[in-house]
Amino acid sequence: MRREIPLLITFLVGIIFLFGPITTGNIPVLEMSFRQIVSTYLSPWTTIITAFAIGLASINLLRLHGSYVARKRSGWINSAALVISMLFFTVARIIRELRPTDPEVVAFYGRIFDNIAAPLSGAMFAILAFYIASASYRAFRARSLEASVLLVAAIIVMLGAAPVGALIWDYFPSLQRWLLAVPNTAGQRAIIIGAAIGGFATSLRILFGLERGYLGGD
Amino acid sequence: MELVKGNIFGFWAMVVVSICVVLVVYLTKNGKFLVKLRRIAGLEAIEEAIGRATEMGKPVHFSPGIADVTGDTAPQTFAALEVLTYVTTLSAKYNAELIVTIRMPNVFPLAQEVVRQGYLAAGKPDLFQEETVRFLSSEQFAYIAGVLGIFTRQRVAANLMIGAFWAESLLMAEGGSQVGAIQVAGTANMHQIPFFVAACDYTLIGEEIYAGGAYLSQDKVRLGSIAAQDYVKFALMASILVGAVMMTSGNDWLRVLFVK
Repeated sequence: MRREIPLLITFLVGIIFLFGPITTGNIPVLEMSFRQIVSTYLSPWTTIITAFAIGLASINLLRLHGSYVARKRSGWINSAALVISMLFFTVARIIRELRPTDPEVVAFYGRIFDNIAAPLSGAMFAILAFYIASASYRAFRARSLEASVLLVAAIIVMLGAAPVGALIWDYFPSLQRWLLAVPNTAGQRAIIIGAAIGGFATSLRILFGLERGYLGGD
Repeated sequence: MELVKGNIFGFWAMVVVSICVVLVVYLTKNGKFLVKLRRIAGLEAIEEAIGRATEMGKPVHFSPGIADVTGDTAPQTFAALEVLTYVTTLSAKYNAELIVTIRMPNVFPLAQEVVRQGYLAAGKPDLFQEETVRFLSSEQFAYIAGVLGIFTRQRVAANLMIGAFWAESLLMAEGGSQVGAIQVAGTANMHQIPFFVAACDYTLIGEEIYAGGAYLSQDKVRLGSIAAQDYVKFALMASILVGAVMMTSGNDWLRVLFVK
């Protein structure tokens, strides 16, 4: 039963979610549409399960980093910073929920996001620029035929997109457009179609209980 | 109850594809149909990566992507959990330290269970520690900051990334490259594939990630489903060809049928 009940729930919920957006009208006998079942019964359950999952994950995070701090493990100061900021943001959010109309509380909560969370995320995103440069350097080293083709295609696309390209050779912009519209689009569509069918087959296996790896093995 | 306009063809196509998948799976399971998958270098490299990490005495990092278990990217997360089962088995076999980092809270208990059961099945339940599967943050860039911190502090020797990735894909792949980890990555998110190709040693492209579970376990049910996928793909290729010819000759019957 440890396997059968989750598989049955997966099948039923999967079918309801599948039919929800593609059908209208009530299901005979139940006098309710699939869409109504989703919004009335399943969506609140999704929220409840997610809330429990967040609780579980937060406990894991706190216990793990709490133990690093308690044992003064190498780099424990980072763990302490994480635990303190996590508790700080939790308390801030609780106060925000308790006093939703207090302008000072709302402004303070906005400020900590605008001045702490947003710049930190922005900084991580900005690192991408440097990483693109270093990854491109390695990828474009012409060590093999494929890498050489990649290098030539990249140079044509770059020159075609830059104003200087047209000054060097009139045909660079049209060659760039052709590369993007024909070989690139064909390759992308092939990958997208293959991935979509693969995703669909995986979903079917899960729905029919043929795929049980997510339950912790066969 | 009736089907919403615009979904009629999609619904019947889904029914036909489902029947095809179930039929091929049934035939494969009963030995009436033999399926042999081509060699997928990226999946074979996983054992090499874990072996290398064991020799170096450094950890193996696994990320199942940053997608949830709901929505259109959920199959990628489930495919990643399939590969995680195999990675756990190998880690147990070689006694390699495994670190699984999680972004989505809903994926966390699933990954924990997969790893716990994997160690249990390998007869080494004591290898499962609380820090084996780590929830880092549900914020995308906070998650990747945490992963990069682990890379730098613990100098991982193998970095396996299978699942749905977005802007953090290159950050993770370059972070792994900078600490000298052997890297295997795979995603069906089209725009992240070039980053993985550029920065990783092996890349699983698109549908290859869905074949991971079947390829690594050689389970007949999963192999059958992969074969069915190929038949559906052949049918689609034929319809694209026929559709192109029909549209060129001024007949839009197939196009009208597809949007019904």
